[in-house]
Amino acid sequence: MPLHDVNYKHWRGAHLGLWERRWVIARNGLAACLQNKWMRNLVVVCWVGGLGGAVFLFLVGQLLVADSVVVKWTATFNPNLRTFVGLLTGWLENHPELSVGTLQNVLFYYFCTWLTRLSIFALGMAIPLLITRDLACNAIVIYSSKAVSRGDYLLGKFATAFGLLTLTWLGPACAAWFVGNLLAPDWRFFWHARVALENILIYGLSSMVILSLLALGVSACVTREKVTAAFWFIWWVLGSVIANIALHTRPWLQHLSFNFNLNQIALATFRVGDNIRAAQENIPVLGRLLGHIRPAEMAALDTPNLAGTWLALLIMLSLAAWVVHGRVKPE
Amino acid sequence: MSAPLVIETQDLSKVFGKQKALDGVSLAVAPGSIGLLGPNGAGKTTFMKCLLQLQPITSGSAKLLGREVGTEGRDIRKRVGYTPEQDCHIPGMAGCEYVTYCAQLSGLPFQIARQRAHEMLDFVGMGQERYRKIDTYSTGMKQRLKLAQSIVHDPEIVFLDEPTNGLDPKGQAQILELVQSLWRAYGITVVLSSHLLRDVEQICEQIIIIARGRVLVHDSLANLKARKRGAAEVVVPGRHEELEAACARQNWPCELLANGHLRVEHRADSLNPLLDLLHQIHLPPLEIIPSPNALEETFVQALEISHAAA
Repeated sequence: MPLHDVNYKHWRGAHLGLWERRWVIARNGLAACLQNKWMRNLVVVCWVGGLGGAVFLFLVGQLLVADSVVVKWTATFNPNLRTFVGLLTGWLENHPELSVGTLQNVLFYYFCTWLTRLSIFALGMAIPLLITRDLACNAIVIYSSKAVSRGDYLLGKFATAFGLLTLTWLGPACAAWFVGNLLAPDWRFFWHARVALENILIYGLSSMVILSLLALGVSACVTREKVTAAFWFIWWVLGSVIANIALHTRPWLQHLSFNFNLNQIALATFRVGDNIRAAQENIPVLGRLLGHIRPAEMAALDTPNLAGTWLALLIMLSLAAWVVHGRVKPE
Repeated sequence: MSAPLVIETQDLSKVFGKQKALDGVSLAVAPGSIGLLGPNGAGKTTFMKCLLQLQPITSGSAKLLGREVGTEGRDIRKRVGYTPEQDCHIPGMAGCEYVTYCAQLSGLPFQIARQRAHEMLDFVGMGQERYRKIDTYSTGMKQRLKLAQSIVHDPEIVFLDEPTNGLDPKGQAQILELVQSLWRAYGITVVLSSHLLRDVEQICEQIIIIARGRVLVHDSLANLKARKRGAAEVVVPGRHEELEAACARQNWPCELLANGHLRVEHRADSLNPLLDLLHQIHLPPLEIIPSPNALEETFVQALEISHAAA
């Protein structure tokens, strides 16, 4: 016999608001994703990468100060190196827009593209947990019988994917920018590096929205968890291979890869070509190093095909919306 | 003053391709324990899903708890519970987590959701197994869990679709007892969908019998049981003609059935007039089978309609 009252009890209280109920779905989805040990490790790798970025920015920042520990330390290796660093330091101090703004912009372009790959991988691991599982086990019926609509459910699932990408991408990138500039020798670094942050946010947020929507579409394709995950990874890998092969044959085929399309957006956002050209023309030594970039590669960095990119993404997103609309319903 | 209606439908229809799952259902249902009875494929589940907006209505209108279905779905579902027939659990969750999550989806704050989840799991008789993953549950545990998630947010009406499916007799009795208490002890309107007359008869006060998407009858259980047509099947050792002639003299319609029994419509509440007649003609019956009550008769009719369609 139970020691406590096991009778039914009525409850009369204030219900949660609609956004709170959507948040419940998102939080639950995110918690389910993070139950996977590999996913947690991946998130840690992203944040360690962010920490590495911050340390790198700190070291670069130290180069810009004549009496910094790093400059003194380089002198212990070779007096010529000290002279060179001294020259570089003087030059960099006189051109902060280039030495801080341009440098951080290029650095964060590469950092963001690295994080993109990890995030796509993380999303691939999370895809079965987004919609596939709910369709497979009929949980969609339970959601539909509660005080949430199909739109609320999808918003919650979108927020799950977006939240995961925030953990693996936007979070580490923004943290690297903030901590890196916080440790810089001068508060003005924040101001000079503002363009890099703007670009991180523009590229990061737009790409995260696109990737989250695509992931929802793939997740709703079929009810077998392994199939949806495999579909995502095959699309990613095969798309990247096709993008490389099609570069010299049928360039439009490159747009079959969502990764390629995202990279085009990154190039357009960070204006990497302009930055490298500015560095080539204005930064001693580094400019000469960058001068070795082949013209074809430079052209690819310089002129992203945005029209084709947006058209391809529009088609992909429409397909994803069509799949979700057709599949995510109680019956 | 009578209680407001919980379900109102007007010419409610639902069509799947060429198949009419619901065909002009018009009902006005008062609160209580309501049995939705009919053979498999009769349209019971579709009717409930239309009310819950899990299926869009093809034509007609429906109100649940006084609110228009289709325009106020989210608000209605705050006050409604639903136990689907099939399994619908989220894998990887423990039972108590699942019920807590369902409560939160219905709008309960986390602390309250967690407390009520445990209360409801106590109520449905789940012990420490609530901390185990749902994937490991037996059918009986899953049925209890489904019931718990459907009442965790304290709904005003709860729809139960075949809640005793797959349970052994003891489990069935326990679940039915719980369901019965929801209305009788706690005032929660229960709509129990079942193809088992026994289940519905045991706990429901109102009966709706559906066949081929049409409502055959909607009345209280007491009325249906009281309503008899005044007929009986009489088994006699030969001499059918004598009985038929005697019935004709009484103006009682009489029919020889394929099984050799005579079906006599004596139009009386009791069998006494028929027994008197048999006594008068010195014909001792081998067996007299009284006519079924309207509930049984209509249910059999529903089964026949369903079989004829198949």
